Amino acid sequence: MTTTHLNMGPCLFNWAPEKLKDFYFRVADEAPVDTVFLGEVVCSKRQPFFAPEIPEVAERLMNAGKRVIFSTLALVMTKREMALVREMCEMEGMMIEANDLSACAQLSGTDHALGPFINIYNEGTLKVMEQQGAKHISLPGELSRHSLSALAKVATADLEVQIFGRLPLALSARCYHARSHGLAKDSCQYVCDKDPDGMDLDTLDGDPFLAVNGIQTMSYTCANLVGELDDLQNMGINHFRLSPHDTDMVEVAKIYRDVLDNKLEPIEATEKLDGLMDGIPFANGFYYATEGAKAKGAIADFGL
Amino acid sequence: MKTEKLELVCPAGTPAALRAAVDAGADTVYCGFRDATNARNFPGLNFSREELGEGIEYARSHGSKVLVALNTYPEAGNPDPWHKAVEDAADLGAHALIMADLGLLAYAAEKRPDTRRHLSVQASASNPDAINYYKNTFDVKRVVLPRVLTVPEIAALNREIDVETEVFVFGGLCVMAEGRCSLSSYATGQSPNMNGVCSPASHVRYEDKGNKMVSKLGDFTINSFKESEAAGYPTLCKGRFVTQDKASYLFEDPTSLNAAQYLPELMEAGVTALKIEGRQRGKAYIAQVVAAFRKAADAAANGEAVPPLGLERITEGQRETTGAYNKRWQ
Amino acid sequence: MTSHKKGPVAPLSPVLLAGIAARPLPHKLLQPAFNAAIKQMHRQHPDVFDRLKSVNSPRFLIDPVDLPFSFVMDTLAEDPTLEIVDSDTDERELYTQAAIRGPLLLLIELLEGRIDGDALFFSRDLVVEGDTEAVLALRNAVDGADIDVHNDLLAFFGPLAKPADLAAQAAGNIFKRFTRDLETLSRATLAPLQRKCDAQAATIEELETTVNALKKQVRRRSGKTA
Repeated sequence: MTTTHLNMGPCLFNWAPEKLKDFYFRVADEAPVDTVFLGEVVCSKRQPFFAPEIPEVAERLMNAGKRVIFSTLALVMTKREMALVREMCEMEGMMIEANDLSACAQLSGTDHALGPFINIYNEGTLKVMEQQGAKHISLPGELSRHSLSALAKVATADLEVQIFGRLPLALSARCYHARSHGLAKDSCQYVCDKDPDGMDLDTLDGDPFLAVNGIQTMSYTCANLVGELDDLQNMGINHFRLSPHDTDMVEVAKIYRDVLDNKLEPIEATEKLDGLMDGIPFANGFYYATEGAKAKGAIADFGL
Repeated sequence: MKTEKLELVCPAGTPAALRAAVDAGADTVYCGFRDATNARNFPGLNFSREELGEGIEYARSHGSKVLVALNTYPEAGNPDPWHKAVEDAADLGAHALIMADLGLLAYAAEKRPDTRRHLSVQASASNPDAINYYKNTFDVKRVVLPRVLTVPEIAALNREIDVETEVFVFGGLCVMAEGRCSLSSYATGQSPNMNGVCSPASHVRYEDKGNKMVSKLGDFTINSFKESEAAGYPTLCKGRFVTQDKASYLFEDPTSLNAAQYLPELMEAGVTALKIEGRQRGKAYIAQVVAAFRKAADAAANGEAVPPLGLERITEGQRETTGAYNKRWQ
Repeated sequence: MTSHKKGPVAPLSPVLLAGIAARPLPHKLLQPAFNAAIKQMHRQHPDVFDRLKSVNSPRFLIDPVDLPFSFVMDTLAEDPTLEIVDSDTDERELYTQAAIRGPLLLLIELLEGRIDGDALFFSRDLVVEGDTEAVLALRNAVDGADIDVHNDLLAFFGPLAKPADLAAQAAGNIFKRFTRDLETLSRATLAPLQRKCDAQAATIEELETTVNALKKQVRRRSGKTA
């Protein structure tokens, strides 16, 4: 039997450095995860705050036996952002997760990882990336079961799928957090720190729809593929990403670990996760090639 | 490096629109096949193989070129429609193929090396390292820049790359980084990347509620209009939503891009070509917009002031924006 | 779908006069001319119907709001039909996938590609009901063909078309004044009713706001993310 891996994706939200540091220390000490991704992916303006803590956090994680991978920015437009990406890619001896083609360009020829912001939709692209040295690939959340299994059939790299957390849906040059607060992006006052799980965006009817996280737009629903874990393993996918939220992520990791180890049924797991997510509905529609907001199977009763 | 004369790249969703664009002075027309291989896979739109062949012939006899957009991401397990589209477009004599997917670029570079490759806006290459990567890996000759850059950023970018750049100057404005957006499939199951459609009409409903008209996309209300208000198409990112108890056009107001005023600066910035959005628009619209931009581009090339275009009435919601070209937009 | 019967005829264009002029004539008498017209269109522009295959060749209700009759168009690629239906027909019985309503002149201009369909959506002159995708496909399909309504279609009405055309042109100015008068009249009769509707709308709006607030409260169990 192949082993399954739970991995902690990069924190996509703007958490205070102390909070983020505590989070990673706890993950190091208690969470049953194998790989932890570090680094600011969403907004370059947030990057300087946690950067000084990263060496200590990385060391603590590695000492706890976790593999650490550094994630690059997803949207690279300015000179400063370009420099940040280049700098990260030049780090010796560290595994880097590219989230933009600029990073792929730097990393070509060395072993590296690809994040879900790189568009891997088919075998042709997968092959190009593997030839350039991609060893660990976290696939886009939009892919259906059909696509995942076709990719898994031919992949030589480890494939990963996000199984928990709000899904990244879009990136923009515009900051919607700032815009909602009537601020310009340049003088945003870092207002995205008010919403550690993202800011609710509702329809005019008052129905929940999306979540805003700075320049990023996410699903209002929380992805939950707890009922699809067996299916994923059967197609040869053994890496599962948890995307951090402002809840007890150690507990979240334990719940999924128990399901993977056949100690907990998906339905019971979903009930527990529902409590931890404070009633945010679950979704897995993309997996079933339907509306991403929909919930099917084990989580059907916990959808929008 | 300053550009002497801007190339005008114009949309065509049908043979009639292609002829209208060519007749109105388009240097180049871009179009797609009638399937999911391109990002305007709308019902009733686009070209059969035969129509494309005739279109290319018509354009050539009038001194214009035709580009074929193959700018969706091929579906895993089903590469044939895309591969066949590459072969057919090349056989029919397309001047260039506009692509976004790395695997498809690799295929085209290997199988049809003599047909030019352009990088689609759907690849969202917004920085020099990404663009140079596409050039070095797939010998891409031109890159269509994502609609997220300011004019000074475009100028700086052009100094660091050695490929032609093409920028959008008119039409619908994506506010999200193109090719990296799953909002549509989150609400409808169909996305630009996979299906070539955004906010597809098959999932659109208008509901008349007496005192207001509500537009819905899938299960979600995208906008609501009072009787006197013009009811727009419910494109997801142009909708009205509620954050912090306030209803607003949070992502983007229902405006249309018009960057005519920036033509001289874009030439200064070293841009090669101007792109007009709207393969889904009618031939009347195409004729009007292309003629206006023909005049504007010619004026700019002669160092004259860009004349007023008079296109206000046909722009969405009757309002215009200069989009990301102006930094205040962010 | 808002109404199942065609509402009062809108006094909006000179074409109304043409319609009135044609009124004593049973509309079904025009049917053979329309049969010939659609056959001709099929011959000259097969691509229109070919393009509609991708949406399963839908059946449309085309409703010129200023004429006392409508059309049902079946877009089968091999054998399209265009059938006249009387205004008092129950539209539910027509089994159409979608309806397009607007002043006849606008519908003709749309058919000829002289008006942008998107622009029409924004200005609300055109009302679309039912399957939006089918309507979009039809618009794209007719826009892709170079259709000339006068030469391609109206020719079939021969002497029938002519008097209507002339009457419309001659009566243009009188008609405009007539329309203005009608509007004044309808405002006067409808005003009290309108006030009552406005009051109800305000109440509904208030209720909607309350429901929306309640939805939000129900969603939060402990209020953490609010």
